[in-house]
Amino acid sequence: MNVRAMAAAVLVAALAVVAVGVGGASGGSSANTLTVWLQVDAQSGWSEVVAAANAQFKAQNPGWDVDVQYQTWGTHLAKFDATLAGGNAPDVIEMGNTEMTKYSAAGAFQDLTAISFPNKSTWLQGLAASGRYGGKIYGVPYYAGSRVVTYRTDLFRQAGGKIPQSQAEFIALAKRIGAKNKAKTFSPVYIAGTDWYVAMSFVYDYGGQIAITRKGKWVGTLDKPAALAGLAAYKRFFEASSRAPAGSNEGTPPPYDVMAHGNAASTYGAGWFTCCVGDYKNKVAQFVMPSHTKGQPIPGFLGGSDLAVPVGGNKDKAAAWISAFTDNASMTALRAKGNIPNTTSLLGTSVNERAARKSWFVPQSKNWVNVENGNVLRTMLQRILSGRSSIKDAASVASDNITYTLNQ
Amino acid sequence: MTVAAEAIAHRSRRRPRLKRIAHASVPYLLILPVIVVITAILGYPLYKLVTLSFQQYGLAELIQKKGVWIGFDNFSSVLHDEVFWRVLLRTVIFTAANVGLTIGLGTLIAFLLVRVSTWVRILLTAGLVLVWSMPAVVAVQVWVWMTNFENGILNYVLTELHVGDYTGHDWYGSTFSKLGMVTLLIVWGAIPFVAITVYAGLAQVPRELVEAAEIDGAGPGRVFRDVTFPVLKPIFLILTSLSIIWDFGVFTQPYLLIGSSAVDTSNYLMGVYVFIEGYSHSDFGRGAAISLLMLLIVAVLSIFYVRRMVKMGEAQ
Amino acid sequence: MSAVSEVAAGARPVARATPRAASIRRARRRRLRRAVWNVVGLGVFLVLVFPVFWMISTAFKPDTEIHSSSPTWFSIHPTLQHFRDAMARPYFWEVVKNSLIVVGAVVALSMVVAFLAAVALAKYRFTGNKLFVVLVIGILMLPQAGLVIPLYVVLAKYHLTNHLMGLVLTHLVILLPFAVWTLRGFIMGIPKELEEAAMVDGSSRLGAFTRILLPLVAPGLVATSVFVFITSWNEYIFANVILTDQANQTLTVWLSYFYGTSRATDWGGLMAASTLTAIPVVIFFLLVQRKIAFGLTAGAVKA
Repeated sequence: MNVRAMAAAVLVAALAVVAVGVGGASGGSSANTLTVWLQVDAQSGWSEVVAAANAQFKAQNPGWDVDVQYQTWGTHLAKFDATLAGGNAPDVIEMGNTEMTKYSAAGAFQDLTAISFPNKSTWLQGLAASGRYGGKIYGVPYYAGSRVVTYRTDLFRQAGGKIPQSQAEFIALAKRIGAKNKAKTFSPVYIAGTDWYVAMSFVYDYGGQIAITRKGKWVGTLDKPAALAGLAAYKRFFEASSRAPAGSNEGTPPPYDVMAHGNAASTYGAGWFTCCVGDYKNKVAQFVMPSHTKGQPIPGFLGGSDLAVPVGGNKDKAAAWISAFTDNASMTALRAKGNIPNTTSLLGTSVNERAARKSWFVPQSKNWVNVENGNVLRTMLQRILSGRSSIKDAASVASDNITYTLNQ
Repeated sequence: MTVAAEAIAHRSRRRPRLKRIAHASVPYLLILPVIVVITAILGYPLYKLVTLSFQQYGLAELIQKKGVWIGFDNFSSVLHDEVFWRVLLRTVIFTAANVGLTIGLGTLIAFLLVRVSTWVRILLTAGLVLVWSMPAVVAVQVWVWMTNFENGILNYVLTELHVGDYTGHDWYGSTFSKLGMVTLLIVWGAIPFVAITVYAGLAQVPRELVEAAEIDGAGPGRVFRDVTFPVLKPIFLILTSLSIIWDFGVFTQPYLLIGSSAVDTSNYLMGVYVFIEGYSHSDFGRGAAISLLMLLIVAVLSIFYVRRMVKMGEAQ
Repeated sequence: MSAVSEVAAGARPVARATPRAASIRRARRRRLRRAVWNVVGLGVFLVLVFPVFWMISTAFKPDTEIHSSSPTWFSIHPTLQHFRDAMARPYFWEVVKNSLIVVGAVVALSMVVAFLAAVALAKYRFTGNKLFVVLVIGILMLPQAGLVIPLYVVLAKYHLTNHLMGLVLTHLVILLPFAVWTLRGFIMGIPKELEEAAMVDGSSRLGAFTRILLPLVAPGLVATSVFVFITSWNEYIFANVILTDQANQTLTVWLSYFYGTSRATDWGGLMAASTLTAIPVVIFFLLVQRKIAFGLTAGAVKA
């Protein structure tokens, strides 16, 4: 080892730097490129819709190119924050509907109220609300998904077969199914303990709410009688039909996996679950989750995405691309993939879409995301279902927490 | 003074000043590249970290690129938050457990590597590298899957081995079990580095000294204490100080293994706490304040080992 | 007591049969001890490697087996479909190339720069030595979460966002303190007599260091370079924020797309992709691990 060896090492290092400089990517985009951030669901689910929108945009805007950069749900907000700080945010960004309010309130988006997007007058109410803030429109509804009951037709037939029209009927049916399938890990209706989307549906079904505004301030209302009744109903339903641990969440394990393993006769979750139930693919069907009132559907949580234009983006071109991506042709294609389109004019009668007609949404506060990230509702549900707290106590704690956080 | 010594002293006085300066500047030139890279990239972020901690700097301020100066409010708000102190205590205990297990088990494996036949050593080393090479995010996914209550292989194996009936057992039911699983995952991932580094260090132990000590009648314990440990000392100091620093601020494993849906004030570790309180809430000023507090705390925790390392340099 | 010690202790020569039988018994005991250690070693190996084994085994299972209710150790009908799917995913080969470029640059640059700095810290006395050491370890203690956004802003100013060079510099900044700190420790373990012997030779101090020090520090350099390689290869947080274009991303970021979707996770694909990600690391280690063994004999020959 001598000076020669060291010189060789330095040379290698220098070559490495050059390789990175040359082999590195194009770096910044040209002046006439529209940067679009969509979630990876579009890449794996309906990339042809994206391609069609790109082609349409390029045809109508000669000299312009579209750079679609796909993001993942866990990290896209952290990346967005970084680009906002660095001054190179994308021109169009897909945001989850519960994520919109925080960023709209902070002034991250450009005002789109004046622009006439396709089907603006018939936008799905549940989705459109999340794009509005302070009387202005910051987000264009993109697509939605609701929750339905996916069930095993053979096991249901075994226990009597009728689709339940009320929660009471469903509980009775669940008990009958449980009597015929006594395995320790088998759930007649698999629901994760801390699945607050399901639990809050019960709350809203009984007329309760998570929080309301009174004189400009937020007040948590989970400790009010209506909400308590809903939580009690949820606990009754959970204990009769699900063997999931009190602290489990709806991501791990995914409910469709539980069904695929033969450990559940049904589950209440996203409409696309039928894709992944393994051997039982031909033995599953869906129905709308009933309310406690006979014949009514339960209010469901409408999950979905909006498209927004961050500050610093090219508003006109971004709006043009969004229009191309949310026109009737695109919406029809999205609907064919099992999504709920953003306009009632295209709304059909699939189970997924029927469940979306009655929906609830989270309090539209810029601090709502903090309540979610702090897992306030999940902690409350775990305490209730494990018996560690009474419903009233757990709900009180959660309600106070929500009041505090939303008013920050 | 002897004639020779006088001549040498005379010669060194006559050595040209330029050469002396060049000679003295060698160490500075050697550390220059490191300083340049770090200052160019990290200079501004460090400055920002300090200034942000004294400002009200949320999402709106980030977009407008202007914060509001509030002095020590961020710090006092954090220090008055009882959650902060609970999380701190929990993290200190967690760090002690993790560091102890990692260094202890890693060292034992390093010694095991010395004692086994060559083919077992190659196999075990390859295994260590395979474990080491798994990205943390992937390792967590595999662990989540292996330990899930519904059909995780862990429950299956324990039930089959008749350790008990673990069907449907939820390994994340209590705070202790959640943090226990995180400990297991982190220690498992950290052992390879310790084992391989200690093994490399053992390679520097002169074998003749070991044999001489054994001839003198020393048992394995005394051999370790008198011959091996002094050589390994700097390595142990490095490994311990690094483990404390990493385990105190660890984020990826607890956040992903416990799950973003289940982390809350009852199981926060400092790394998760600063992420949720600061960056998830987009309260960057508060996040910066907590980061600086964490820096201070970890410096205090590792001061014992760091001072020893610095002092060892002075002895040279 | 070992054979050497018994002989050195001056066991008196008795009838020829007894020492012979005794030495055979001692050899058998040594073999037995080694066999016991081998069994322990194998046990440790199995426990340690199990999650990795599970990942690789799952990568070869068809979807029906992965999602079946009774798990099996090995696949009944192994398939390469997941590997094919993973490699067919968008940008796989670009991402491999990007990761190799980044890691190659980071390892080469950090080893050279850190070694020079470590030599300065360990072997030279100069004002600012202690300050620099404290600075280096101070940077190690910084929680990375706090640095992500300001660092992104800095890189944006240099137009290095979405560029591999930006990531290389970021990794250097994260890893140089560690490399300097560790190499300093390894260098300090080298006996001073050898360095002085070289200086009598008439060579310059720096020349002596490189000629004498480098081979002795080789095991330490290797261990450090393996750590730098793996850390850079597996780094996710900064790579994810800095590289927005999928064509510029590294393998760990590419992997996150398998489980970052709101729809069903392709477990088989994720396991296959993860297995592929581990291969270059293992290759790198196999290439350099001989240096550690070399150090073993070198250490024995010296003193």
